[in-house]
Amino acid sequence: MPVVKFKPDRLLNALGVGSVEEAGEVLFRLKCEVEENPEGLVEVEVNPDRPDMYMLEGIARAARGILRLESGWTMPRVRDSGITLRVGDAPSRPYIAAAVVYNYRLDEDTLEELIQFQEKLHDTIGRRRRKVAIGIHDLAKLPQGEVEYRSLGLDTRMKPLGLEVDVEASWVMENTEQGVKYGGISLEGGRHPFLLAGGQVIAMPPVINSNITRLEPGTRDLFIDVTGTDAKTVAKVLDVIVSTLSYREGVEIGLVRLEGAPWKAAPLLSTSEYSLDPEDVNRVLGTSLSPDEVAMHLSYMRHHAEATGDTVRVIVPPFRADILRTVDLAEDVAISIGYEDLGPRLPHFTTRGSLLGETRLSRRLRELLVGLGFTEVLQLTLTSPRLASMAGGGIRVSNPVQEEYSVLRPSLIPGLIAVARANLHRDKPVKVFEIGLVARSMEGRVMDELMLGLMVMDYEASYEDLQAPLYSILRLLGVDFSVEPVDHVLLMPGRAARIMAGGEVLGLLGEVRPEVLEEAGVDYPLVVAEMSVDRLARLATG
Amino acid sequence: MAKTPVSWTEYRILEAMARAGVRGGPIGEVASRIGVPESTLHSVSKLLEEKGLARVRVEEEDRLELTERGREALRDGLPEEKLVKLLEERGGEASIGEVRERLGGEAGIAIGQARRQGLIKVEGGRVRLTGSKPRLRQALEAVAQGGNPGDALGELLSRGLARRVRVRREVLELAGEPSSLLDTVEVEASRLTHDMLASGEWRRYRFRPYNVVAEPPRVLPARIHFLTSFIEMLRDLMKEMGFTEARGPIVELELFNFDLLFQAQDHPAREIHDTLWIEAPPTGLDGYEDLVERTRKAHEEGWGYRWSPKIAARLVLRSQTTSVSARLLASQPSPPIRFFTLGRVYRSDVVDATHLPEFHQLDGIEGYNGYTFRDLLGTLREIFERLGLQVKFKPAYFPFTEPSVEGYVRLPSGRWLELFGAGLFRPEVLYMAGVDYPVGAWGFGVERLAAAFYGVSDIRLLYTKDTTYIRSFPVRVV
Repeated sequence: MPVVKFKPDRLLNALGVGSVEEAGEVLFRLKCEVEENPEGLVEVEVNPDRPDMYMLEGIARAARGILRLESGWTMPRVRDSGITLRVGDAPSRPYIAAAVVYNYRLDEDTLEELIQFQEKLHDTIGRRRRKVAIGIHDLAKLPQGEVEYRSLGLDTRMKPLGLEVDVEASWVMENTEQGVKYGGISLEGGRHPFLLAGGQVIAMPPVINSNITRLEPGTRDLFIDVTGTDAKTVAKVLDVIVSTLSYREGVEIGLVRLEGAPWKAAPLLSTSEYSLDPEDVNRVLGTSLSPDEVAMHLSYMRHHAEATGDTVRVIVPPFRADILRTVDLAEDVAISIGYEDLGPRLPHFTTRGSLLGETRLSRRLRELLVGLGFTEVLQLTLTSPRLASMAGGGIRVSNPVQEEYSVLRPSLIPGLIAVARANLHRDKPVKVFEIGLVARSMEGRVMDELMLGLMVMDYEASYEDLQAPLYSILRLLGVDFSVEPVDHVLLMPGRAARIMAGGEVLGLLGEVRPEVLEEAGVDYPLVVAEMSVDRLARLATG
Repeated sequence: MAKTPVSWTEYRILEAMARAGVRGGPIGEVASRIGVPESTLHSVSKLLEEKGLARVRVEEEDRLELTERGREALRDGLPEEKLVKLLEERGGEASIGEVRERLGGEAGIAIGQARRQGLIKVEGGRVRLTGSKPRLRQALEAVAQGGNPGDALGELLSRGLARRVRVRREVLELAGEPSSLLDTVEVEASRLTHDMLASGEWRRYRFRPYNVVAEPPRVLPARIHFLTSFIEMLRDLMKEMGFTEARGPIVELELFNFDLLFQAQDHPAREIHDTLWIEAPPTGLDGYEDLVERTRKAHEEGWGYRWSPKIAARLVLRSQTTSVSARLLASQPSPPIRFFTLGRVYRSDVVDATHLPEFHQLDGIEGYNGYTFRDLLGTLREIFERLGLQVKFKPAYFPFTEPSVEGYVRLPSGRWLELFGAGLFRPEVLYMAGVDYPVGAWGFGVERLAAAFYGVSDIRLLYTKDTTYIRSFPVRVV
């Protein structure tokens, strides 16, 4: 989850609380976790459904509602910026929206916070700049003239951020960190989208901005562009940014006229309106709140909300990206009340619980096997190709993290041989069992099956050492079974058998081939067995 | 009166003496009468004496014993006997020369003795037999057997056939009649045996006390794995609370692992770094047509993108057991419902002390017409209070629930452990599944809680191959 960092005094001042602990308690109620890091910064882990809270203003606005210091929300002051953005052909990244934020007045701290805001938006809602990317410019440095967005060839020249000279876009792609990382996202047929002002490139979205409009402490007004592949998200992200920055006193929003875009002007500052029946909230939460109470809580959650008769009129502010329907407002009410204060209660209906047949059978098997001196081991179902290949190979993970855990085990036996290997120096006999899943492809489908595996290692271990316990268990379970000799790649010829029951193969039993043991580095004889618990459960459970 | 402890061997000796009716005597004699080696009786006698059950007296006496020459004479004959034998072979007489030749150095003494005993006459160079019974044979035999040679004693001594020696011998004398003595003793034994019980002989035994505070050898029982014990405890808890256990596949369609849980197909959780796909041909979405159609609608309306059934048909190692809950919902069970599943889930994590590529998750769902968020919070609190854990709720975000909550439990150490995620399924999820009543859902990782419960700091130890670790793992009684 995204983590944003702030200087402690800036966070405390913004919230109006006296200590980091207090801030932590308030923000906990807003889905955040707060921690002080070794550098002396406060880290706030924010949930990705609240992108407005990647910014200090957004956190403060939400927290001051929970603290009952403020409530509701008012539309920021908006005026015409006089800028027109002409949207041309940019098929790889067709959407752009832009806005001006007046009087934001950057200093070193706010500049850092603003860049952090931008980065977190990129990483989450922006899907690492694929879906949405943001460029923030110093309005005062924007070259005079027409502002235009369209695809151009890679020979287009620009001054990338941090560079004082003009270079070709293709150079940026190959020689800047951002170019290497993001250069491929919107490159299509040798063309890439650019944002130009007065004929000069001010951004190459989603890769890099131009040095011309670079932000610095002292920058007063911001020109913000948002580009992307999804119109709705582009508009939403711009809304979240400007409506969060405008929480600061004195900030005004400048409208940018758009030509050739789905909208005539940006930001949309779009709100959604609900005529909320408090009963819809009560039905979700189990509360009995009045319209006034619902309105009050939603106001503390910084919606515009007022009770009108039996309903509550709610205007969801533009900085909220997560309110899709009534139930999302109900959650906001619950958050304002506090989950603890909501009054958890036990549901008043009864049901009869039950366990699966294989669960019940496994418990009986464990009792019997422990009684027979077998100790249970547990292993992962992901195994190495080497172990899986002993049993004919298993289903591979296509993107494993470690080769060691890249195949689903097709059998428990190779793992039990590995257990033997790990217990060579223990007192003999070593007797273990495992109950666990294996996975195999059957008729084109991947099936998992719960199996019981057994292993006996001793100075002299023979077939009977497992045959006798297995017969005992099967007979105690009342399973009608038969046994027939079998050839098996892991088991000694003439000392291996298949256990049959109910017309199907229930399992396998035998002494491990000495060549297998030698290969596995086990210098004691092993007897192993494997049986399907799932099949046995069908035969043995009532 | 306290009985005198004796060893098994001591008891056997007393018993044998009682049977033979022997109360005492020289040890050698007693030993041969009761049929035990003299050396055994010798050492046992000393032990019996120490316990006051017998006295061992040492007697000294002069005894005759044969000299080397005497033993030789006993074996090969006295010189005069050899002479008599020679003469008998020769028909009663022989020349002195012949006698000298046959008897060598003994010829002189043989002739002298024989003449003195009147066995021969020597005349004219010839020796003639006149009697046939040399005198000393009987005396030699008597001495050899420890008896008295009678009148021949002086002769035996003077001829150097016997000599006087002084001998010591030990004489055992029991403190009482052996049969009554047996009643005053008991045998010390270390183990009570089947034989003792079967024969009733245990009554004669005194069982030696052990050092009961001494450290015994270490033994370890065969065991059920401690993680299993924990898992089964959770299963019992869920059953007690009225939940029905369910199971779903570990290799799962993205449809159930993600799409039905309203995770957009470009959601970061579905990226390569977080999800494990498997190399298996997709099996398609046949049989799920209605579900697929509703899923498409919900995604395209809710998230505003073009939903792809191809992506939904890909196979992943399930990243959450909520996929099982999704399957359960899609089966549209009639309310009220309570289901849980406990199984393995898979993540793209590198193995370390706090991460495994797979672990167990417990997921539960519960719902009926009128189920609310407060009910969900109540159920969650109940589950963890039954585990003895205090719960703290934090608002949270999950794509498939609203309201959503994260739960922290307070560990015995006082630390709050972020443990579970929960919430009411979003209307979009219920719509996709085709369920028309509210359903609460939650899930948590079992290993993290188990590790905290058992105080295991390295989660890898839960999957150790070391059987001794498992067998010696401390038991938690809950």
